[in-house]
Parts: sequence; structure tokens; C-alpha cells
Amino acid sequence: MPFNQKPQKFNAKINSVTIGSGDKTVTIGGDSTFPFYTFDAPSENCPKIGVEISDMGLEGVSEGIKAYYDGASTMADIAKKAAAMEGADFVALILEGGDPNGENKSIDELIAVVKEVADAVDCPLVVEGCKNVEKDAELLPKVAEVLQGRNALILSEKEENYKAIGAAAGLAYNQIVGAESAVDINLAKQLNVVTTQLGVDPKKIVMNIGSAAAGYGYEYVVSTMDRIKGAALGQNDNMLQMPIITPVSAETWGVKEATASEADMPEWGPQDERGIDMEIMTAAADLAAGSDAVILRHPESVKTISKMIKALV
Amino acid sequence: MTLFESVFAGNDAVYGLTENAIDEAIKAHGADKAVSFPNTAYSLPCYYAVTGTKVGTLGELKEALGVVKTLMTREKRTHDVFMSGVATALCAEFIEVLKYIDGAVPYEEPCYGHLADAVIRELGVPLVTGDIPGVAVILGKAPSAEEAAALVKSYQAQGILVTLTGDIIDQLAEINYKTGANVRVIPLGKDVTSVIHVVSVAIRAALIFGNVKPGDAAALMEYTMKRVPAFVNAFAPLNDVIVACGAGAIALGFPVITDQADVARVPKSLICQTDISKWNATSLEARDIKIKITNIDIPVAFASAFEGEIIRRKDMQVEFDGSRVDCAELVQTCDASEVEDHKITVIGPEADEMELGSKNCIAYVVKVAGKNMQADFEPVIERKFHNYINCIEGVYHTGQRDMQRIRISIDAFNAGFRIKHIGEVLYSQVKNEFDAVVDKCEVVIYTDPAECKRVRHEVAIPTFEKRDERLDNLTDESVDVYYSCILCQAFSPSHVCVVTPERLGLCGAVSWLDAKATNELDPAGPCQVITKERPIDENLGSYEDVDEAVKKLSQGALEHVTLYSIMQDPMTSCGCFECICGIEPFSNGVVIANREYAGMTPLGMTFPEMASMTGGGVQTPGFMGHGKHFISSKKFMKAEGGIERIVWMPKELKDFVAERLNKTAKELYGIDNFTDMVGDETVATDPETLVAFLTEKNHPALALDPMM
Repeated sequence: MPFNQKPQKFNAKINSVTIGSGDKTVTIGGDSTFPFYTFDAPSENCPKIGVEISDMGLEGVSEGIKAYYDGASTMADIAKKAAAMEGADFVALILEGGDPNGENKSIDELIAVVKEVADAVDCPLVVEGCKNVEKDAELLPKVAEVLQGRNALILSEKEENYKAIGAAAGLAYNQIVGAESAVDINLAKQLNVVTTQLGVDPKKIVMNIGSAAAGYGYEYVVSTMDRIKGAALGQNDNMLQMPIITPVSAETWGVKEATASEADMPEWGPQDERGIDMEIMTAAADLAAGSDAVILRHPESVKTISKMIKALV
Repeated sequence: MTLFESVFAGNDAVYGLTENAIDEAIKAHGADKAVSFPNTAYSLPCYYAVTGTKVGTLGELKEALGVVKTLMTREKRTHDVFMSGVATALCAEFIEVLKYIDGAVPYEEPCYGHLADAVIRELGVPLVTGDIPGVAVILGKAPSAEEAAALVKSYQAQGILVTLTGDIIDQLAEINYKTGANVRVIPLGKDVTSVIHVVSVAIRAALIFGNVKPGDAAALMEYTMKRVPAFVNAFAPLNDVIVACGAGAIALGFPVITDQADVARVPKSLICQTDISKWNATSLEARDIKIKITNIDIPVAFASAFEGEIIRRKDMQVEFDGSRVDCAELVQTCDASEVEDHKITVIGPEADEMELGSKNCIAYVVKVAGKNMQADFEPVIERKFHNYINCIEGVYHTGQRDMQRIRISIDAFNAGFRIKHIGEVLYSQVKNEFDAVVDKCEVVIYTDPAECKRVRHEVAIPTFEKRDERLDNLTDESVDVYYSCILCQAFSPSHVCVVTPERLGLCGAVSWLDAKATNELDPAGPCQVITKERPIDENLGSYEDVDEAVKKLSQGALEHVTLYSIMQDPMTSCGCFECICGIEPFSNGVVIANREYAGMTPLGMTFPEMASMTGGGVQTPGFMGHGKHFISSKKFMKAEGGIERIVWMPKELKDFVAERLNKTAKELYGIDNFTDMVGDETVATDPETLVAFLTEKNHPALALDPMM
């Protein structure tokens, strides 16, 4: 019997959202198939990769990453090298130094870093907060303000601070709002609902539905992404049709597989390779489950995932 | 003079002034002379927003005045009044823009005049988040500088942004009252027309934050009405021009409060309040502004860390004990006029007038008022009191209704904690947590024994009885809607609870009233309304509406759910069920096991084994999770015959439900002491012994048709 292909057609689409301004922009989302189901319909925009850099510079990064940025002494240098990485579509600046439980850098200090990075590169920009909801509520509106005209993606607005960040990024300064929830389809949807009720255009929202490193309760991430895509396409639920971005590296470089030194764990092999493996495995799974963009750190991971996307789309 | 006449006269006067001013300016500078406000991308923001046209030159300004004239219709209808108000505002904007010709700087310290777009972007965010809960537009000359300062200070204390127009600016300057954007008091200018600069802020907020298209006047007014929490305070005497400006403010949805006694009042929009010390409260109520309470004014800490704190007798200053003396805690819904917000009264002795270690009476009545408040929410709010009072450092609370017990520690007492502070805590927590339904809140605390006795027996107990009666009378048929609950989807993704008055959530924690309150307080939250307009089979409890909701909320995992059957499309379970019932084929009945029961059931399965086939959002006909209180419901597996199918329960559970279950059995089937016929683990844990027991007791299930 001949093979008779029956494409799965949906009368719904993931929103396409363009990040960045001028000549250099990236567009994520836009597909009306499950991830990489290019046999059902061609992909509008293949998944994109961001390279994460931190306001903490190269402090605490792995040897391989350090080697890549060798010679970069300022945030501007680091940003330029990140933008030039093979396979990179955008740069993601994480302001982890702002965490009150960590370095607790002042907002002025962090804004100076944002400006330095924004001036150094003209590629699309994503800015991630410090993960503390109160601090982010003050910090991210200021970030949105200094990036006026850049059409940047501001991560992350959460349930606790959605008004401040949603209003600043989405309304006052016309950036893209990144809505972050904790691996739960209903919370993700609820945040999109209240953000749009503020007046933010649904087409200017990107979701970060939460993540985990592969092997760390990761099944929840897969099933949540799966259900979100299912509802967005199968049920035409327009409060779940925002594309998904997943910051992978912030999760994977903190787990023991990536942090244990080779001296402590000789049977596990070289530390840098393990970090790359965790990053690649997690990112590949995120993309297969429904992420429209991932954020990575290691040049090797970026190269590999970029190759994977090209091979599948 | 009527309101119509005042507004029209004021409008005409301002129009005349504007026309002259424009003509003079054209004479002096020529029609091609550019006019603009500095630092805005919105031309003349008010005119641009209303008409969609940008004005760049004096000649165009003259044309624009012609457009304004068309708004000035003179029928005696409210629409004409509003439009004349808008026309007056636009004229004011024209007069103001003329002041800026040639890059002039018409305003100097402390006045601001026109505000730049950047200021609006900066103010917009705190306005959206509620950090700036409102905008007060104060106009004219206060009776005295002190009263002016007191009014402004009252708004500052609430975080409200204050703008000043007219003589009040000089009055505050005379007494060296600090003004400026950094203290959120912005003097605009001394001419009445400078008030347009705050209107311009509201209007640009609509363009920037509301995505309102310039020229869409209806959308503009809807935005300012719904989203810009501004109001006007205008001091007497009011002239026609101010009244006409006021009509413009009302058109944008901003109420006007004045002390001019003879003003023509318009309910909720033009309000006379001759006591200026009450302007703050009147304005907030009229504009429906709620102030977030960030710190509770008590001498000890308040945090969930203190929730589990226990006060021993030797550490105790005083205690209150509902099991020994008269106590009560009660929420009462009142009319807004009967509640004075944040008033806390103690009737009877304070803690420092009570003997060390003594047992006392206490009854606190929290009076609430709100447009969305319903009596059904009273017990929902009341149930939180335990948590609120427990979170106070050095205070402990157990029980509820008229059986609560409170202890105040010696340490808390020595730190200055008094009974009135319980009122502060209740006030601030109720206002914060229930702000969606509570607009005003007042607390009365009785410690006088006679008063406590009266409140308990004449107010509280009758209220509790009435509520219980309402709960008893609530049936699935008597309500118009059911509620969904998807609180547990985080770990059970395809499960949806349908909560009805006679079938509470299977966790036992979400009743229909709880779901209703949750929906009201958090409209985008886990509990959504399910209509019941299209029944398919009332006996099964199947509805098209329910099926649609379940399908949508389970993302398509479930297609059909019945409310009253365990055989056909039974309701799913997340895993939080208090009980599981399962079919027992030998007796045509069902066995119920509760979570606490660790032994074997006659099904040959333990509770965890039954749970493994019932949880996770799957439908297994013959098995169903449910709450304990559902067992005595008349809707319990009604489609299969109801509670007379119950043949076995663990003894503990049977004792727990006996009274209510027997009552239902009597009502439905005329059976006395039904639970005596129901087996338990002391009778049998295998089907043969159970059936022998049921036969001996003549259990009705044996005579029923098999369920499968």
C-alpha cells in the first residue's frame, strides 16, 4: 500500500513577534504546526538562538566560555563577541548582579551596563532581570526606558510585578514584554490575560513558561509546552498563542553536572563538556517541546543547536 | 441660574477670549507663525486626541477654533453640557499654547505649565500599578492656607498626585509648603486655563498607554473614565468659566467636588461638600479610588512567620475564650453610608484595664461596604480572621464564629499592643486582600460583657443560623451557574472540577460559595463561571455547557462529564480527593474509603490502590473521588439511585457523616438510621461477609438493579 500523507492542519497560528530594530531583527513564532513538523506545513520562522552574557562579566563562567571571550575586557567587548558567535541570532543580557541576595548592584550601575551593551551591538536585544520580583519591578521599567527605539524583549514580567513591567515595557516604551510563569499552563494563560487587560498588545508578548535542566523535573516543562502548543493550535486559544522563549543556560550551568570539578568527579569526565552536554540536551528538548527561541551561553552549544535547527527545518 | 446656563455662559466667555487672543496673535505674528508646546510629539494634545488633527500654525489654530465652535451646541441636554465643557477645555489649550509662541517660557518656579511627554511616560507606570492611586486636580482659593495645606497633605499621604491651579499656589507658598514633582505636588499655573496641562497629561496617557487613536473621542473618554483616576476639587466661589471647565472634566469621567453650597448637583459627578476636611474621603469614594495599605500601624511585627506561635499561660497577658464567655467574630455587609472607612472603635475596657492573666469577653464586628460586596462573601472573609490575627507577633487565635480563643502575650502587651490593634490588623488585611469587593471597612470591637452578650446572641448567632440555612437551601436547581476549579492542574493537567452547591470540590476545600468568591476576587483566576442553560439529561447531570467548559479547560482531554453519575462519564479527580467510592458488584452497591483509612476494603483494594485508578484526571467508570460532605448530598450518584447504594465505609468516616447521611436517607427513602445498615471494617473487609451482613440488615441496595 502506498504511503498516503495526511498533513495535520490547524486553523490557528502562533503569533510572530519581531525583536530588534533597523536592519537587524529576528522574528520568532508564526508557525501553525507542532515543533519541527515541517511535513505538515513549511516553517515560517525557524527557532532562534540567543547568546547570554551577564553584567557580572566573565566571573564564574566555564573555561570554554572564558576562552571564547579571551581578550574581551569590557561589557562592550563581550557583547560584540557574543553577537559575532556562530549561530547566534540575538544577544541576551542577564542582570544577575542586581539580585539583592547576591551582589545587589544598584539600578544605576546596571543601567550603565545595559547602555554599554546596547551601544556596542546593533543586533536584537533581550534583557533578563535579576530574578527578584521587587527589584525587577524597579529595574526593568528603567531598562525599557533606556532601550527606547530598540524594540527589545524585556524578561521577565511575573504575576507579582506584571503591572509595573507590563506597563513600562509594553505601553510606555514600546518594547516586547516577556511574560514568565512557573511551568503551569493556567498560570501562563492567566498572566497573558492580565497583561493584555493592562492594554499590552497580545502580539507584543513572548512567554517564558519556565524551565528546568534536563533531568531536574523536566517532564513538567515538556508537558506544559506540549499542552500550550496544543491549546494554541488545536483550540485556537489566542491567550496562549504567544511564542515561547526559554532561557536554558541560566538553569543548566547551575546544576551539579555542570559545576562539579573534574578533580571531584573524575569518572564524569571534563567539566566543560558536561556543561555543554547539559545545555545542548536541555535546549534540544525545549525546542522539540515547543520553544520558539532558546538562550544559551557556550559557543559549542550555540553551534550545535544551530546545526540541529538547520537540519530539521 | 441653571447648570445649563452656567456652562453655556462660561463656554461662550472662554470662546470669546480665545477668539480675541488668536486674532491678536495673528495680527502680531502672521497666520503662518508656528505654535507648539515644548517636548511633546502630540501637537496640541487635547485637540489632537479629540479630532485627530495636528495644529502647527496660528492659521491652523484659527481653523481649529471653527471646529471647536461646532461642539458648542445649545440644546438643553446633558450631551450639550458635556460637549461645551470639552469645547471650553480646548479653548483653554489654545490660550495656553499662545503663551509658548517663539519658544517663550511663560511659567516660572514654582509653576510647571505644560508637562513634557517624558513626564507622562514616567508617571504612567505608577498610575497603572496603583503606586499613584489617583490624581487630584485642585482649583481656586482655599478658605485658609492651613486648610489648603491639610487637604494637599492628606492626598500626599496616600500617594495621590496633586496638581494645583489658581490662588492655592500662592497660599501654599506663603506658608512655605514644599511643592514639586518630587513630592508629587505640581503647581500648574495661576490662570484657570492652566488646568488644561493636567487634562493634557490624562489625554496623552490615553494615547500612550491606552492605544487610543487620535480622533476617536469616544474611546478617549472611555479610557479616561475607566483608567485615569482623576478628580477635581474646586473651591468656592465658582464662576461660569470654572463650571464650564468642570463640565469638561465630568465628560472625561472626573467627578468635581466643591464647597459652593448653591451649585446644581449631579449625582456622582458634581458633588457639594461644604466641610473641606471631608473632601479627601468624598473624592476617593466618588472616583472609586482604593488606597493600598503598605504598613499596618501596630507596635509589634505582622508576618506569616508568627502564624504558628503558641502563647503559654505563663506568658499570657490576657485571653478571650468563646467556650467560657461571650465572644464572636463577624463580618457584616452594610450600606456605604453606614460605614466610616478605617474607623476603629473599642467599646468596653482596653487590655490595660484587664487583670493580668484574666479571661475576658470579646466580639468584633467588621462592617464592610462595597459595590461588588455580597452577603455570600461574609463567611469567606471571616474565615481569614484566624490567619490574620495569628500573624500578629505575640497574639494567638484559634476557632471561629462565637468559639474563638485569643491570647495576647505579656511581651506584645509591654510593646504597646492593645485590643484596638486587632482592629487595625483586621481593617488593613480585609482592605488589602478583598479590595475587589470591599470599598470601605470599619471595625467595632466590644469587650464590655453585656455588649458582647448582646452581639453574640442577638447579632452573630442569628446571622450564622441564617447563613447555615442558606447553605442548606442552596441546591443545584436553585442557582443559575456552576463554577469550574482548575487549581490542581499544575500537577493534574487534564482534571477539571465542576463545583455545584450540592457537590463541593473533591478536595473538600472549595464549596460553591468559595468558588463564587474566588471568581469575583480574581476574575481571570482558577474558578470560572459555567452556565447551565442547555441540559442534556437532568438525571445524569449532563449539560452541553458543562461539556464545553470541561473540554476547553482540560485542553480537549475530556469531552463529557456528568455531575451525578459514577458509571457514565464520571467527574475526574486530581488526586486531592478526601474519599473515593468504588463499585462493589456482589451487593449492587458502592464502597467508600477515606484517605485516613489505612486498612483493606471489601473491594480487595486499599485507599492508595483505589487512588491509583481514580486520580490524574482520568475517567474510570465505577470509581470516583469526592469530598466527605458530598456523601450526604441528595446528588450523590443520583443517576444510579443515590446514597442507598452505599454499602460500606470505614467506621471513622461513617461516624463523621452519620447524622447528615441518616437525615438524607430519611428524606429520600424514609429509612431510619441508614448507617446501621452500612458495613464497616469491624463487620467485614471481604465481599462475602459483607453481603451476609447486608442481607441480615435488609440493605436496600440488594434489591436494586445491578449497576453494570
